Amino acid sequence: MAECGPFEMIAYTGSRVLEDETIVFVGTGLPIIAAMHAQLTHAPNLNMIFEAGSLAAILEQGMPLSVGDTRAFRKAPYAKGLCAAFELTQRGYSDYAFIGGAQIDMYGNINSHFQGGDYEKPATRFPGSGGAGAMAANCEKTISIMALEKRRFVNRLDFVTSIGFGDGSPDYRRKAGVMGSGPYRVITNQALFGFDKKTRRMMLLEVLPGKTAKDIQELVEFDLLISPDLKDMQMPSKEDLRLLRQEIDPDGYFLKRTVR
Amino acid sequence: MNEKAGSSIKNITSLSSDLIKRRQNKPFEYWGPTPTQARKAAVNKKKGLSDKRTTLKEAVAKHIKDGINIGIGGFVNTRVPVAIIHEIIRKGAKDLTLSFQSNSICCELLAGAMILNPDHLSIKRIELAWYGYEVIGIAPLLRHLTSNGMIQLDDYTNYGMSARFKAAAYGIPFIPTRDHGGSDMELINRGKMIECPFSGENVYLVPACHPDVGIVHVQAADMHGNARIFGALCTCPEIAQAAVRTIMTAEVVIPGENIRNYPNLTEIPYPVVDAVVEQPFGATPGACYGNYWFDMPHFLEFRSICDEFRKTGDKAKLQAYYDQYIFSSETFDDFLSQKPYKVLKELRQKDGVQPIILE
Repeated sequence: MAECGPFEMIAYTGSRVLEDETIVFVGTGLPIIAAMHAQLTHAPNLNMIFEAGSLAAILEQGMPLSVGDTRAFRKAPYAKGLCAAFELTQRGYSDYAFIGGAQIDMYGNINSHFQGGDYEKPATRFPGSGGAGAMAANCEKTISIMALEKRRFVNRLDFVTSIGFGDGSPDYRRKAGVMGSGPYRVITNQALFGFDKKTRRMMLLEVLPGKTAKDIQELVEFDLLISPDLKDMQMPSKEDLRLLRQEIDPDGYFLKRTVR
Repeated sequence: MNEKAGSSIKNITSLSSDLIKRRQNKPFEYWGPTPTQARKAAVNKKKGLSDKRTTLKEAVAKHIKDGINIGIGGFVNTRVPVAIIHEIIRKGAKDLTLSFQSNSICCELLAGAMILNPDHLSIKRIELAWYGYEVIGIAPLLRHLTSNGMIQLDDYTNYGMSARFKAAAYGIPFIPTRDHGGSDMELINRGKMIECPFSGENVYLVPACHPDVGIVHVQAADMHGNARIFGALCTCPEIAQAAVRTIMTAEVVIPGENIRNYPNLTEIPYPVVDAVVEQPFGATPGACYGNYWFDMPHFLEFRSICDEFRKTGDKAKLQAYYDQYIFSSETFDDFLSQKPYKVLKELRQKDGVQPIILE
């Protein structure tokens, strides 16, 4: 089996989750890499929306380093601004949101505002919602990427930035006035999670080969549901790694980082 | 209208009930001109196709005052109005309100100026969606100002802020959105959940945002302020039309007849623009589609200086940066003159000749 770094595992798993003939609203970094990999392999007709306002660009100048990167507009058949990107999304034309954050809870709500202290005087302020809050609200399905750590998979968020299933009640999202169906997958380098249809709670679907459900539970503060059909995560092939390392992120901006 | 419309966010929030009460009981106020004031200002403008070309020094001296709301164009690191920001820092202005969706270097430059000399320039509050550098990292000075409680924030999503500028540009007092609800932003920002008067379903309203002064950088404009934008429009057309006054820098000023040849390419119409300044490289170290790409080494240099200040409290390097690049320069061209030609040439090459239309 080829040696594979944690971010390569996340990007590859992200790619696997995306289906062909869909539109994915991507954030900077691993989401773009995952979508590019999907386009080069199983989903040639997957298209990306970048929130600065481009749809279905051809990323022939290399991986955009920012969702506002000029490269993210290369040969796009449609290029406007933020309003257009989010309005297409509100209207129902973004199948997937692909977001990150600092904390996630069992209902897939995500914090990207602050940790510690309070809102008006936070110990550590993060950049804020950006597009994430709107993407989690109105893309049809939300995929999130997180490092699998106890301080991130928490019982209670310091701040709810991006709506998941809220308190888990069946009408939480309807009462919130949002349009998308909500959390779909949570991707980490050691586990892939989904959500139980009945309870809307996070459910472990796949683990890194060699890991057990117990190993994963130890890295999560809340009680995980375990899929009765728990599988091993699929590992990237040599060709997948070549695409990731040589074609998509040759400078290693995102894939060569190390986990803290 | 049901005053009690709302999601069930209170079931999961960690915010204190004191904070929530305080924010929700505060009577609503615009953080800039009201829609009525903005309308009046537009009506009172002279609407002729006049020559609005000027220098940044004159435009900033005329329009940037203490206590105003500045709407910042661009998006994160792209087509950001850095040249205008440099001039605002040279001039100084106190108790500013900043409004934008997502930005990096512009707000960090203003924040650094505030840290160095709050009697010269200060930020009172920011209405925003996001503040950081993406791949380059978090914004150290934002973290410094917030963890010390030195500025007030009002948080929306990127669509929320864009929609707020759009409402203002449309001349309407608010706009319904399908986001913010069910998140803590519902509890702390100045938007409001209502029951839709037609369907009875909850829908979140965000208030119009009219900056006193919008600042935007574009690829091309004529001397009247009719502007073309290529690549990401970001929220620049909305910000320019929402603002009471707009200062515009353009990579190049093109003849008015070119604009008239392709009227559909005009993204910002002249009456909403008050000053036009030709300023090549006006967004560097940000990128400008069709002109130049990110100046990564410059971003890294400035950010690492800011991060060092955040960690050590030592302002010496920060002061040196401002002295070297901003205060010792009379104009943005003086700042650009410090960059070797080959650096600028490389930034142009990295754009990869993205197609833009100037004729």
